[in-house]
Amino acid sequence: MPDPRAALPQAQDQPSSAAFTLGDRVRVRAVDPEHHTRVPRYVRGQLGEIVHSHGAAPLPDDRARGIEPPRVETVHVVRFAARDLWGVGDHTVAVDLWESYLEPC
Amino acid sequence: MSHAEGGNSESHADLPVAARVRRLEERVVAAGLTTDADLDAYLTKFLERASPMNGARLVARAWTDPAFRERMLADGNSAAAELGVGSADPARQGFQLRVVENTATVHNVVVCTLCSCYPLALLGPSPSWYKSHAYRARVVREPRVVLAEFGLELPEELEIAVWDSNSEARYMVLPRRPDGTADLDDEALTRLVTREGLIGTALV
Amino acid sequence: MGGQLGFGPVPVVVGGEPAFHAAWEARVFALSSVLLRAGAYNVDEFRDAIERIPPETYLRTSYYERWLMAIEDLLEAKGLA
Repeated sequence: MPDPRAALPQAQDQPSSAAFTLGDRVRVRAVDPEHHTRVPRYVRGQLGEIVHSHGAAPLPDDRARGIEPPRVETVHVVRFAARDLWGVGDHTVAVDLWESYLEPC
Repeated sequence: MSHAEGGNSESHADLPVAARVRRLEERVVAAGLTTDADLDAYLTKFLERASPMNGARLVARAWTDPAFRERMLADGNSAAAELGVGSADPARQGFQLRVVENTATVHNVVVCTLCSCYPLALLGPSPSWYKSHAYRARVVREPRVVLAEFGLELPEELEIAVWDSNSEARYMVLPRRPDGTADLDDEALTRLVTREGLIGTALV
Repeated sequence: MGGQLGFGPVPVVVGGEPAFHAAWEARVFALSSVLLRAGAYNVDEFRDAIERIPPETYLRTSYYERWLMAIEDLLEAKGLA
């Protein structure tokens, strides 16, 4: 993808306080919106563990639709077991997910 | 917002692609959104600056300076800024840099399944295989098979961690320092590191 | 497309590959980057425009052709050029 410099989250963007922390087990919301979103289909509805958090960023779903101001949320890195995603495999897959893409479990 | 093919004389969808691009560029310049000089300058600067040598320098320094390695794993942007290959401020850099470290037990590999996000400034222009449907689709599902297509056969006991880079964070792999390199300086070590090593489809 | 099978082997080219395979690809890359910086659209609108390409077209077009289609689409939708 292109260098998104012009369209970056700015330093003053602050998330509402993060609802999840390192080590939390979370479930990705099983959504299928008509608008743009950054939840890959292969993790929707899946259980994973938060292994890192990147800090806050505007929600792509809002920015793609021109919603001003966009929601600003913590982006969590959620790790999934391949066996959960595909039924087979001994690797892990980690995906960056905005907080509202997740629910506690 | 239809991507209509045909029926829209403004889309020029029937023109050969190079002519379509010229037409688009003319329209964009005529609308005052940019100039030919801006476009030329942008490309020149990009091709001069964006290089896997930048990522390789970070890796070589991390191999020889444990404190730098710690800082880089904690805050990639600040580490890149220390070596003059990026900004400490993610907003200025264009991304938040997350470095993931290969160890004796874990091998990391990076992909962007949704598009082809990639730390251009540190790794240079992205290879076509990284943007291919096959890589984007398959590496999250069968990474051992995909890595074998690069000639990288990993032992079964080595865990593979795939990072799907779909936010404004960008991932770079810190490969393991090869054996027999104890007497090499940073510059020689930098030359060992490949773009594929920084993505995780090669060991170094 | 994460997880989808059937695309065949990865087209591995290591070393010696040019940054762009045709001059027009470089122009599309520059156009998109400059338009992003100029605020003509944001990166999420751009990704959305690429994802709205019908799947059969998406799969048969090249990476930078999809960028071209997305730029054309966004500029027209916004009435910018």
